Amino acid sequence: MSLKHAIRAATGLALAFVGTGATLAYFEESIPMSLNPLYAKTMADHRAQELVFDRLWFNDAITNELRSRVVQKYQVAEAGRAVEITVKSGIRWHNGQALSAKDVCFTVDAMLDPGTPSTVAAHYREFITGCEEKGPQVALVRFNRVLPKPRERLGFPILPASEFNSTAISPDLQFSARPIGTGPFNGKRGLRMVTFDAFANTHHMPKIVQMQLQEGGDPLVQTKTLINNNVQGIVVVPPPQRPDLSASDDVSMKAYDLRSWWYVSVNSNKGALSDKRVRQALNLVLNRNELRQYSIGVKPGDKNSPCEFISGPFIPASPYYNVEVPVQPNANLSRAEGLLKQAGLEKLGGRWHKDGQAITLRVGMLANLNHEAPDLLSQVANQLGAAGFDRLTSKISADEWDDSVMAGQSDFDLVIGKWSFGLVEEVNELFHSKGRQNMFRFASSEVDQLLAEYEDAVTDTEQRDAYHKLHKVLNDQLPYLFLWKLDTKSAWRTEVRGNIVAPYYYFTEIDAWSVEG
Amino acid sequence: MKRWWIRPLVRIGAAVSLPVIVPAVITVFIWSLPGDPASLICPPNVCGGTEALAERWNLDGGPVQFFLGWLSDAARLEFGNSWRLHQGFPVLELLETAIPTTLTLIALATAIVSLGGLGATMGWLPRRIDPILRVVGLVPALVLALAGAAIIELTFGFGSFSDSGRLARLAIGAAVLGLSDGAFTGAVLGTRTTFETESKQRYVGIAILRGEREMTNTWPNVAPALIGQLRARILHLLSGAVVVEVVLRIDGLGDLLWGGTLRQDFGVVLAAATLFAVVSAVLLLIQATAETLVALHVRKAPQGVRLEEGP
Repeated sequence: MSLKHAIRAATGLALAFVGTGATLAYFEESIPMSLNPLYAKTMADHRAQELVFDRLWFNDAITNELRSRVVQKYQVAEAGRAVEITVKSGIRWHNGQALSAKDVCFTVDAMLDPGTPSTVAAHYREFITGCEEKGPQVALVRFNRVLPKPRERLGFPILPASEFNSTAISPDLQFSARPIGTGPFNGKRGLRMVTFDAFANTHHMPKIVQMQLQEGGDPLVQTKTLINNNVQGIVVVPPPQRPDLSASDDVSMKAYDLRSWWYVSVNSNKGALSDKRVRQALNLVLNRNELRQYSIGVKPGDKNSPCEFISGPFIPASPYYNVEVPVQPNANLSRAEGLLKQAGLEKLGGRWHKDGQAITLRVGMLANLNHEAPDLLSQVANQLGAAGFDRLTSKISADEWDDSVMAGQSDFDLVIGKWSFGLVEEVNELFHSKGRQNMFRFASSEVDQLLAEYEDAVTDTEQRDAYHKLHKVLNDQLPYLFLWKLDTKSAWRTEVRGNIVAPYYYFTEIDAWSVEG
Repeated sequence: MKRWWIRPLVRIGAAVSLPVIVPAVITVFIWSLPGDPASLICPPNVCGGTEALAERWNLDGGPVQFFLGWLSDAARLEFGNSWRLHQGFPVLELLETAIPTTLTLIALATAIVSLGGLGATMGWLPRRIDPILRVVGLVPALVLALAGAAIIELTFGFGSFSDSGRLARLAIGAAVLGLSDGAFTGAVLGTRTTFETESKQRYVGIAILRGEREMTNTWPNVAPALIGQLRARILHLLSGAVVVEVVLRIDGLGDLLWGGTLRQDFGVVLAAATLFAVVSAVLLLIQATAETLVALHVRKAPQGVRLEEGP
């Protein structure tokens, strides 16, 4: 058996070197902050980690079915409160050791260890209670309740027990820069570049020898570099650069199903914004058609627009999107004025006042979104100004975003951002009063109740119904002013073949990728 | 001046204390910030574990414990791993990359500046180019660095971090540092002015009448001033290196210091800032030594000089 595995691995490695022998260089949005899956924060982190690690279960990029490359079989145990997992034998870690049930249980224990300060782990702590090794390859993962679809919940990457001294995993361990996984590539982070060297295994046979990741920087330079064949791909191409790349015969654009939607989050705990009518008025002040035209370049009526307006926290193609809730493409200033007056605001000298004080809105935007939607912050501020609000604008760095805005410690009134989702578009953490990603601590018992309804739902229909109701309620309460969904596009040289782009994690099917010539 | 030794002594004192004072000030600064770095990794309301992290990073026992712990680790060259900037990288490894890079950058820029000084001393640079030098000296490092970064990115593309790309970054960075913010212009005009002022001294005129060379007489007297100027210029280049390294994405100490500060990676900041302090201390020691040598040379009793006997 082991000889068979060794032969397969050797063949794979030989194929990788002799068959195509290629290196693939590509531009990412940013250099990954950490290659440790427990500390993934950005999309660049998730995509890079997908090359290095195997997730227990994942969705097939084409059929959408749940698959696993590491699980041989599984069965629901303990009346639905546990899953018994048998991991495949013969799979090797990048350090040469064999994957076993010990690693699965170590990963679970690490996530449950209170000494692991990880937001990723915090999510799993909500429903996983422990793991028990039942045999060398058999692990029993226990939950705190009956999970209707346990495999969907177990999408975490497996960590090697042999690489850690303790289950308390801190972010500054060397593992964050030089991780060991069972994935198709062995990753190594440099100061300016991440390299991924092919690692043939029984379950992975990458055809590309090495992948090189670099931070993209200026979109125009990225575009020119790709057209001049100095790089093979760009993971995220901003809308203004798409026409140039589409016009090139040497480049093909690839749709990246990231399910991203843009919003203006409203600090519903601050001043006049705590009044729902003021938030509704702000929603009417925004002229989304103009915002879209001036920042993304999509004119009203453009066909095949990459940007569609939304009225709730899902993309229009999502089953959770409630089509009965209308979008607000244009401003309605007279209605907005009416709502503001009802809320007790006064317009003096063209500016809105509350209790004799002029209202000044602090508006922020995540700085790196400016590549995708240039000048959106100024455009939003201009529209607010035209409607009679004083405003202070600032761009928010990625670090400030994480440390201050997402931690609920910023004093902005409005922040412009973007959420991206995989196939599971769960928004509970965004809107629940105790949600980890509820940036302004919006609290509504009605919303909490609907989120609980979604959480307790057993069937897909029940889940969908709960989110449809949520969509409607959120469109009324408006903790966010929902803007649009914006398609994400990648660009790859035509020499890159078989490049199936998986939703969200991108490189799930990297084994099929090759470089011609 | 009988107490010529006071100035070098003060410099030596400053050189010895700087590498301790700088991390001490940073430690005070860390404690004056709201929250603690451990909670920045993951806010305590979101996930647990920040207490364990604070303990691991020695942040749980107050600033004195942290500072003394860091100092004793630093003495053994143990700086731990980067918390946030390059998560998981040993800080020592980062310094090992950064130090030679910054030293090369500064050395190249110093060479450019020194060539300017030498050119002015030897009269290779005519006065008619002074207006051009003054205009070049007005350009800020940031502007030149941005132009340099654009050239690098457009020329090298993805290969801008290959060996040749890195070399080009260094060369352009050194040129930017050496030319911008009046570095080259200051060296040329400053050195020339110093020599010209000294040449007007009466003793130089008498020496020339005695058939001695002007340079032999002026050099020992202007040397302390020139050494001081050079030290100031190198410090100026070190400060400019932060801007140049950040804009041109050169993996030097300045970039490390900037990135570490932005990301509140205090392990990196402490190490990088202390190294800056060490460089400054070394320069102070060199200056003190040079001043001492010049002072001893000037005060050395001349050989073979006979005093004229009175009538």
